[in-house]
Amino acid sequence: MTLLRRLAASAPPPVYPCIGPGMLDPVERLFASGCARRALSPASAGVLLIAGVVPDRAAAAIDRLHDQVPPPRRTVGWSGADEPSNSLHDAWSGVLSGDGAEPDRLPDEPPNEWRGKGDHGHGGEGMMGGTPYGRPMAMTGEDPRDGLQLDRYTMRVGPFAPMLPPGLELEVTLQGDLIAAARVLQPPFPQEDTASAPPACAARMLRLLGLPHHADRLLRGGRVRAGVLCAVPKGLGAAMPGRDARARLRRWLDGEPGAAQAPEFGALITGLEWHEAILMLNSWSPEALRRAAEAA
Amino acid sequence: MSLFVTITLLTALCFAISAAANHAGLATAPQSAPFFGGGTSEPHAWQRYHFRVYTMTLVFIAFEMEMMFMYPWAVVFVEEGLKAMAEMGMFLGILAIGLLYGWREGVFRWQ
Repeated sequence: MTLLRRLAASAPPPVYPCIGPGMLDPVERLFASGCARRALSPASAGVLLIAGVVPDRAAAAIDRLHDQVPPPRRTVGWSGADEPSNSLHDAWSGVLSGDGAEPDRLPDEPPNEWRGKGDHGHGGEGMMGGTPYGRPMAMTGEDPRDGLQLDRYTMRVGPFAPMLPPGLELEVTLQGDLIAAARVLQPPFPQEDTASAPPACAARMLRLLGLPHHADRLLRGGRVRAGVLCAVPKGLGAAMPGRDARARLRRWLDGEPGAAQAPEFGALITGLEWHEAILMLNSWSPEALRRAAEAA
Repeated sequence: MSLFVTITLLTALCFAISAAANHAGLATAPQSAPFFGGGTSEPHAWQRYHFRVYTMTLVFIAFEMEMMFMYPWAVVFVEEGLKAMAEMGMFLGILAIGLLYGWREGVFRWQ
């Protein structure tokens, strides 16, 4: 192993976590301890961490994420009982040495057959009929702002999206930058009460706001100044005055638990832009979101 | 001439090397799928959406063109005096009506 590889191996490994039931708090504490770096997408990770016992409904998602980690890649399972930093570092050294790489789990083929089909080899006929790269073109729909007929893009986010509670699967329809419709497909996994404790919730929101050091300080039991509240847009998600996302963050910073159940998802994020919607969802605790999703 | 040929050859070499490097690391189908935290999407990400700031851009260009008129006007202003002043006043007045119209249409509302 060269000197450069040895130095790289001593750095915190970039890990993409797939978090199972009851493992949200342990995984967040693992990353806050600094022994691993949380990669926000599989493309920037070297190691895939499977934390806890993931239900069968999420197995296909794990396969997809596994293949999106660029090779050479390693997968590490963690039950939460032992200290995972050694196995993560071993896996990272394995990634850097490049041998024993895990092969793809999914076949290397586009979602639909398209090459050479149709008039122009784009998989169909006409401007809207093709399936370039195996994917059909987006169809038009009415824009919620002014009724213009523009393309709608429907995607299913989750169950391991880093900005949503683990297990939550949302079907979101975007019109440009705006969420035109949202529907819960699967509720989040149940978590321990510690995951919905005020410091953990506030830390999650601060991390989204790009204040990771403040978040780590909160998780270690420290305090942050009230100035961080200015990072949350005023009036976001206000059902009534003084009840917006900023007020909810303030209550968490004061150590008060938030509401026990969030409002219905569709009404919560429809009409918002993606970043607003994510900030808004994270202004409720994972438990409150789980109750709202299960009520739907 | 020799410098031109050298630069051309070097550029061609860079393109060839980058093409070879890209081919070696070509992403597989699962890797080139968009990342939704394990979720999927059927349609192609290529889509048409409304570029909502274009009306504001038009107003910006109108007021930038106004400056094109102000430079020659500033040169002859001292000679012409009050007459030039009145002409510029009329010109700005007409532009201001356009501005008010844009305001009424919600051009300056960022959403």
